Amino acid sequence: MNFIDATRKGKEGILVLGNHPQIVQSILDFDFVCGKREPSVVAVIGGARRAQKFFFGPSELLIPCFADVSKVPQGLRGKIFWMLNVQSGRRSFDSTVSFFETFPHALGGHLFAENIPERHSTELIRRFGATKLLAGPSGVGFLVPGYLKLGAIGGTDAAMLEASKLATEGTIAVVSTSGGMTNELIRAVANAGKRLSFAISIGGDRFPVTSLSEVLLLAQSDSKTKAIVYFGELGGVDEYEIVELIEKKKLTKPVLAYVAGIIDEAFDEHMQFGHAKALVARPSESARAKRDALRKAGALAPETFPEFLARMKKLPGTTVRDMALPMDALQKRRASVLSTRQVVDLDETPIFVKAKKLVSQKEGFATKIFESLLDRKLRSPSTAGFAEAVFGLLIDHGGEVSGAVNTMISARAGRDLVSSLASGLLTIGPRFGGAVNAAAGQWLDGVCGAESAAEFVEKRTKGGNLLAGIGHRKYRVGIPDPRVAALADFATLLKQHPYYDFAREVEKVTTAKNGSLILNVDGVMAALALDIFAQCEQLSQDELRELVTTEFFNALFVIPRTVGFIAHFMEQKKNDEGLFRLPEELLFVRRKKK
Amino acid sequence: MARVKISEYRAKKILLGDSYKGILVRTEEKQKMPKGGTWVAKVDQGVKKRFKQGLVAVGVTPAQAAKKFALWQKEGFSQFLLEPLVPHKSEEEQYLSLDRVREGIRVLHAGEGGIDIETHPEKVGTYTIANDEDLAIVSSATNIPQTFLRHVLEVFDKNFFAFLEINPLVIQGGKAHLLDAACLVDSAGEFFVTSWGQDDIVKSRAAHESEARVEELQNTTPASLKLSVINPNGSLFFLLSGGGGSIVIADEAELEGAGKLIGNYGEYSGGPTRQETYLYAKEVIALMLKSNAKKKALVIAGGVANFTDVQKTFAGIIDALSEFAPKLREQKVKVFVRRGGPNEKAGLELMCAFLDREKLFGSIHGSDDVITSAVADAIKFAV
Repeated sequence: MNFIDATRKGKEGILVLGNHPQIVQSILDFDFVCGKREPSVVAVIGGARRAQKFFFGPSELLIPCFADVSKVPQGLRGKIFWMLNVQSGRRSFDSTVSFFETFPHALGGHLFAENIPERHSTELIRRFGATKLLAGPSGVGFLVPGYLKLGAIGGTDAAMLEASKLATEGTIAVVSTSGGMTNELIRAVANAGKRLSFAISIGGDRFPVTSLSEVLLLAQSDSKTKAIVYFGELGGVDEYEIVELIEKKKLTKPVLAYVAGIIDEAFDEHMQFGHAKALVARPSESARAKRDALRKAGALAPETFPEFLARMKKLPGTTVRDMALPMDALQKRRASVLSTRQVVDLDETPIFVKAKKLVSQKEGFATKIFESLLDRKLRSPSTAGFAEAVFGLLIDHGGEVSGAVNTMISARAGRDLVSSLASGLLTIGPRFGGAVNAAAGQWLDGVCGAESAAEFVEKRTKGGNLLAGIGHRKYRVGIPDPRVAALADFATLLKQHPYYDFAREVEKVTTAKNGSLILNVDGVMAALALDIFAQCEQLSQDELRELVTTEFFNALFVIPRTVGFIAHFMEQKKNDEGLFRLPEELLFVRRKKK
Repeated sequence: MARVKISEYRAKKILLGDSYKGILVRTEEKQKMPKGGTWVAKVDQGVKKRFKQGLVAVGVTPAQAAKKFALWQKEGFSQFLLEPLVPHKSEEEQYLSLDRVREGIRVLHAGEGGIDIETHPEKVGTYTIANDEDLAIVSSATNIPQTFLRHVLEVFDKNFFAFLEINPLVIQGGKAHLLDAACLVDSAGEFFVTSWGQDDIVKSRAAHESEARVEELQNTTPASLKLSVINPNGSLFFLLSGGGGSIVIADEAELEGAGKLIGNYGEYSGGPTRQETYLYAKEVIALMLKSNAKKKALVIAGGVANFTDVQKTFAGIIDALSEFAPKLREQKVKVFVRRGGPNEKAGLELMCAFLDREKLFGSIHGSDDVITSAVADAIKFAV
């Protein structure tokens, strides 16, 4: 089975050596529009990061990164069949050798660098030329429509995937030394109403690892290929390989070639063009000589490029059936700036109390903490149940909140657990996380005072002040917060609940003004804590006041949230995406007046 | 990425080490000349067919050599070589060259020195050496001592040489004398060697000042920027992208019989930044403005790029065009565009709006049109 058929049978996994996010993203876009369930890029080698974020369709995912090939875990190794080496010419040789030492069963790869020494290329040929398919050095790689995009080949802009019809298999093999012209021919094939069987950019270097002859024999043996479209340049003698293969009847599929370089005749002496090989050293290496030789052997070698394109339309093809590509999914997506995991399921609605009974009677760590902070044994299982419920609810509220963000940014700056945690905890205050304590003080004032809820609200919100424990971004009257409802069930365990009642009275007043000003988790938690402490633990109003001034209710938040922050910290260290920097477009900067 | 010439002095020093007694003489550096002896003086700047051009003086005294150097300096040369004369009979001369090829190192040998191997292929033996066995065969076939041949091959390989020509080679009593040598190294190997460096690379052709500036710019970026002036008074000026695509576009002009009108050839590729593109475009535009042709067209064209951002590079070109817009209008220059690739739509729109506003519009084509569309339009305009 040849390399291309093997790829079509599912050997599509790529290990990327080096850092070229634009190319990697283009591969993931290709995979997505071709309908793959998971990206072909298995992992990335290089850099200090542990993971790098890319889009797969409309959503993001993390691709694992490793320091070198030997660190790729066994679980991933079996998936890797191709190497995409985008490292510099200085490193390409060593990394390629170690790739194939680690993955001896890999099919091949692509070397992207333009400045790989000839000595290294010839050594790569000696070691891997006979057994692997290696596109390059230089060029843009190798493409099998619908299956594999190994490199920048076919473009790095999602729009080009559709324009060049890269998801549809066809009959034309595109072979080119020049990377840019590989893409030009890929588009030309699509514009001619044909589709590709595969495309390869051999690279403009003097010694491509997989030679032109080898690629042509691959096209000859490929079951899908019916014709070969070739782009070559002046300099070198590659085209004579085509001539030889045709003459020896090893290549019988039609070849349509354009050999560029007639312009060289406009110079007084032969010129070195863009590619290393593009220099006429002998008369036989001129574009004209090579065109003549190809024609003599029976290949089509039109004189001008427009003629070449016209001839392309007549090459054998099949009925073309293009899939509609999900291009919408690739538009308008915006990269996230931080990544973390879901620590607790915020959508899950807990049940603490059912039919006036505690669901769980277990006393655990939360009970111990309450006892330590209150300096007494808890008298009532209701208090213990409440402690467990509150701590469970407050562990995390997503990575978006200020404290979690600060923890993550510190972690990505390389700080340790304690420092990163401290940076998160230091964020807790009047605007973030401090509402439970403030709400407790507020409900205590309300119940002790003689004002009605309406008067209380009127007085407290004067001058635009906000009430603690009131208001939600998402929930409103008619769409109740399920967590508030779950906590509110604790009221059914109590004979009286004046603080809870007062909070609900206040809510009636505020929601009359604005439906989103409902009692929130902080507010209900504070109210019920006061009721439970007063009734089940028999704390006096003075003792409750003392809990507010000693910030017990802040501790109620800080203790469980510490766990959440640590979870976000650990996630950062695990992925290690590098130092965080806010993308410019997310920051408004007021310019200095000049 | 390319094969470049190093000085004969450096090549021989690497091959022969301390036993090499040649002296490098540079006009910008003070060099102590030897007191006496008989010497060979020559220009060491990678010039082909030096002997025929009178750039070699055989059997001279140090004083005579110094006079020669002064003379050659007036002709524009600045680097010379002074070597002790090796008395020998002409029948002792041989030809030897090494070339790095796919399969190993190709050796060409002739029992006659000083010959042009292109015109006398019948006198040349061709061998490819990939291992020790090959080496032994070549040594016995050519009568070149095995130790010497092995040494040359090892030095050649280890120092990232690409091509070495020793013509003539004289072997006397087992000792090899390299009378003349030309050496190309692989510029990509520079990082891996200490034996040669930038200072040893010779440039045989004095570049046009615009070419020289682009070369300088090239040295500061990983992207590729190239410029060659063909006809300073041409009508068609090229701002092309892509190593292969640029040749296709230039070919079209030559094939359409407009070769004489071509002012320059060049290309940018490999994702240059907006600033780099700006600096490069400025050189081409300045070159065009200096041309005394009556009708002038600027062709901004390239294939469908893989990863070079059309919008970004076009922004750089527009920066340069803006700077010269009044002069371009004055000279009635029109701009013809064909390009595809990442951010193609936005890039073409940007360019279209600009050319329209500045009254420089010739034509604009995207990736749905043939790569040669812009140059074809430009030829129609300029002829």
